[in-house]
Amino acid sequence: MSHATAEKTEATADEPVAPRKKAALSEGKKAERRLGWLLCAPAAITMIAVTGWPILYSILLSMQRFDLKFPDRTEWIWFDNYVTVLSSKYWWDAVLVTVVLTVVTVAVELVLGMSLALIMHRTLVGRGIVRTSSLIPYGIVTVVAAFSWRFAWTPSTGYLAEALGGDPVLTERIPALMVVSLAEIWKTTPFMALLLMAGLALVPDDLLKAAAMDGAGAWQRFIKVTVPIMKPAILVALLFRTLDAFRIFDNLFVLTAGSQGTSSVSMLTYNNLIKGLNLGIGSTMSVLIFLMVAAIAFIFIKLFGTAAPGSDNGGRR
Amino acid sequence: MAGIGGADTTGKKVGWGLLNAVVVIYALFPVLWIVSLSFKSSKTLADGNFIPREWSLENYQNIFSTSEFTRALINSIGIAIIATAIAVVFGTMAAYAIARLDFPGKNLLVGVSLLIAMFPQVSLVSPLFEIERSLGLFDTWPGLILPYITFALPLAIYTLSAFFREIPWELEKAAKMDGATPGQAFRRVIAPLAAPGVFTTAILVFIFCWNDFLFAISLTSTEQSRTVPVALSFFTGSSQFEDPAGSIAAAAVVITIPIILFVLFFQRRIVAGLTSGAVKG
Amino acid sequence: MGATRRYRLAVGAGAAMIAATTLTACGSGGQGITVNVYKYNQENFQAIVDNCNTKANGRYHIVYNKLPREADGQREQMVRRLAAEDDSMDVLALDVTWTAELAKAGWIKEFSGSVKSQVENGTLQTPLDTATYEGKLYGAPDNTNVQLLWYRSDLVPTPPKTWDEMISMAESLVAQGKPGLIVGQGKQYEGLVVLFNTLVNSSGGTILDENGTKAIVDDKAVQGLAALKKLATSKAIDPSFSNSTEDPARLLMESGKAAFELNWPYVYAAAQKKPDFAKNFKWAPYPTVSGDAAKVTVGGINYAVSSYTTHPDESFDAVLCLRGAESQKLAALKDGVPPTIRSVYDEPEMVDAYPMKDDILKTLENASVRPRTPAYQNVSTVISTILSPPANIDPQKTADELRQELQNALDSKGVLP
Repeated sequence: MSHATAEKTEATADEPVAPRKKAALSEGKKAERRLGWLLCAPAAITMIAVTGWPILYSILLSMQRFDLKFPDRTEWIWFDNYVTVLSSKYWWDAVLVTVVLTVVTVAVELVLGMSLALIMHRTLVGRGIVRTSSLIPYGIVTVVAAFSWRFAWTPSTGYLAEALGGDPVLTERIPALMVVSLAEIWKTTPFMALLLMAGLALVPDDLLKAAAMDGAGAWQRFIKVTVPIMKPAILVALLFRTLDAFRIFDNLFVLTAGSQGTSSVSMLTYNNLIKGLNLGIGSTMSVLIFLMVAAIAFIFIKLFGTAAPGSDNGGRR
Repeated sequence: MAGIGGADTTGKKVGWGLLNAVVVIYALFPVLWIVSLSFKSSKTLADGNFIPREWSLENYQNIFSTSEFTRALINSIGIAIIATAIAVVFGTMAAYAIARLDFPGKNLLVGVSLLIAMFPQVSLVSPLFEIERSLGLFDTWPGLILPYITFALPLAIYTLSAFFREIPWELEKAAKMDGATPGQAFRRVIAPLAAPGVFTTAILVFIFCWNDFLFAISLTSTEQSRTVPVALSFFTGSSQFEDPAGSIAAAAVVITIPIILFVLFFQRRIVAGLTSGAVKG
Repeated sequence: MGATRRYRLAVGAGAAMIAATTLTACGSGGQGITVNVYKYNQENFQAIVDNCNTKANGRYHIVYNKLPREADGQREQMVRRLAAEDDSMDVLALDVTWTAELAKAGWIKEFSGSVKSQVENGTLQTPLDTATYEGKLYGAPDNTNVQLLWYRSDLVPTPPKTWDEMISMAESLVAQGKPGLIVGQGKQYEGLVVLFNTLVNSSGGTILDENGTKAIVDDKAVQGLAALKKLATSKAIDPSFSNSTEDPARLLMESGKAAFELNWPYVYAAAQKKPDFAKNFKWAPYPTVSGDAAKVTVGGINYAVSSYTTHPDESFDAVLCLRGAESQKLAALKDGVPPTIRSVYDEPEMVDAYPMKDDILKTLENASVRPRTPAYQNVSTVISTILSPPANIDPQKTADELRQELQNALDSKGVLP
């Protein structure tokens, strides 16, 4: 590349003068920077303009005692809200439920999603039908799907409850959580599958053919060739799916409304913020949820190492 | 595997056919339940049968008897398409820059967009409402389009940059050495390879905008900009407390059709890019 | 660079589209005074609005703005805008439990002078109580609601008078292999609080003190809890009781599997659609727990005027018409909501639509109100959480837990479940 060679000559020219001083940027580098900023500007500006103040405001609120119903009692209390929330048994119950639901649904969805992706990608017949129909669950409005599941699982009005002998599954904690997990998995596996399938599309056939000719079986080809190349796509799918799963709300709200101890952290936040109008506590919960989710994201990115976007120079050199 | 592990025998085709059938049944069974609910008359709605004993079109007639639902459909389609288009464009630009170029603030941008994706939206809704009210954006199309773009961008950026990373830099170099301008190199070589990512992102963003309830209910107030998920929450049964299950099911069927069309249209293009001849070995 | 140019075109086109839609989206102007009413989707309300617009004779024009079907959704929308001092809302249709909260926060105006006396004149007392806070009137009752006992006359020749009687009748039916289930609302939501309130008040107990600042939950309240537990653990209770709201209860009753139903009068109109079922579908007053009459919790809707309205006089005027006797009669006959003005009950058409109106009136005379406190949402959330599932109630322990958590909720301390 022309500017690469230009850089090299500049660097060697600079060296005898000041080896450790920061070299002046070449024209090429400057142009690259400008282009980079220019391309990112619309996205960055939109995101920050819309969420900058709301996020800041939420964080500020979390450090105040602010209940809309008693506006005259508002005061700045720093981290007292955090102490209140973190020492509340309702909070930790909700965290437990949320973690369990997240782990279960994401694990199942990874396996199912990968299988679905493989089928959608490799199938010999009816490609369009399989791909379209497997995406439909994701396309149905969540509350409607949840509503229809509730209808189906309520004895006497639903076919699923009848099939299982008329037991009211939604009235007990563990069965209710299983039903919620099932609804979540059915609904969002296509999300994983779609991202994974697009990742699969990037694996070159020649590599797989070469591996086959070297004697690798289907499973070995999968593990040794396909998965490593798919790592970035798997990271994106897992990361975003986990972040979303941690904030589960719609399915829970319709199926159980958080009753029988099936409240998630999002439901708890909703109850305190929107129903209870306690902006202080509600914002505190939001910040705590954010911190937990950030921790998860951090762990994922570390686990996947160089597969994070922008972390290396993306195959440039 | 298509042509890798052996010939495409009929046996293999039948095997795939069966697998397809399993997938389709698993995906569509609950959907068929919704469809069946939509065709049940109000008397037989709660009889628990999978196949309606009494078929009726009254639910469909109900939802179209006023202009509210149709108006909500128009709002949803318009807002979702515009938001998707813009989010994909902005996202592609940013993802290309992140994956290919080096500039200060790159990691910051990636981090900030992830932060935005992670912050619970429920606490952002009220401040956003107040901002939009003072700007006059409350209950308008841009009032919804802007938040949708914002919250779709993180996913768009991440997905697209993951794709751009995988595209070999050498291809662009080779095209330029063959005499193509950077624009032509991008259009002929890179864009087709980026297509899977772009269309995947488009589908996901569209579905996000289409299904969103939280922002739609908080930032709209009249038919002007009310979208379908919100319109559903306004449906009423024929008497107080009665869950309008039939109307909701009928509406759900109607609003899933655009999704099916959108996906059908785009799903071929997800893999089309690979065979466009760039990878010659 | 071809790519950048194309991107710029795309962005430009997008911006143009947005601009075009913004332009077409505005233009809602009109002359004269507009009174914006915010109410849930009531089927024939538009007809009432049209009537009142004719009566207004050009002084103002009422516009009907719809709100979500669920009460929580309505409250969420209204509170968000009231908290932002939005002046585009004038008249609000409020659930009876929201009066204290909105009044204390200064979001709704007090009714005074001639408007107040016009509202009070001829209106039933209990609905008026729900619109009153700290002695001042903040709302004009529109419709009201009380639950009755509904039963299958072919299975139950004489309806039970007491709570225990109902349960034992049902259990003996079940033991004989006949459909004898009792259905009601036991899900973790407001309906459970309604049931709890009924049982506690019918036992002579109290939940909160009169000012709504201290949690009492006395011994008689423990009796109410015991009654609730007895129902939830009875052999004849609907197995999905702890996940059941009003409509699933109605549907189960209509499916023929139940003998008793505790529900609002709307189930009568719904049942008429199934003549075979309806001919055996009868009603009776709510079973008593102690004393000779139950104190059933009252539901319903009141109209309030937003404090941020720019047209208070026209808004109050609109309210008087929207909840006037004529409007209430239309709503009662067409939308199945019982009126709050006494004289409407005597209208001849009411006999067919509300054959149970005498029982409704009698129940209303002795009805109870849910705790009146600005922290009612908190109170309701705490109650419904602690009482779920009803089968796990331990009357004394649950009462103690309630007392403590309710006090926290009233003081706005701690985390809501």
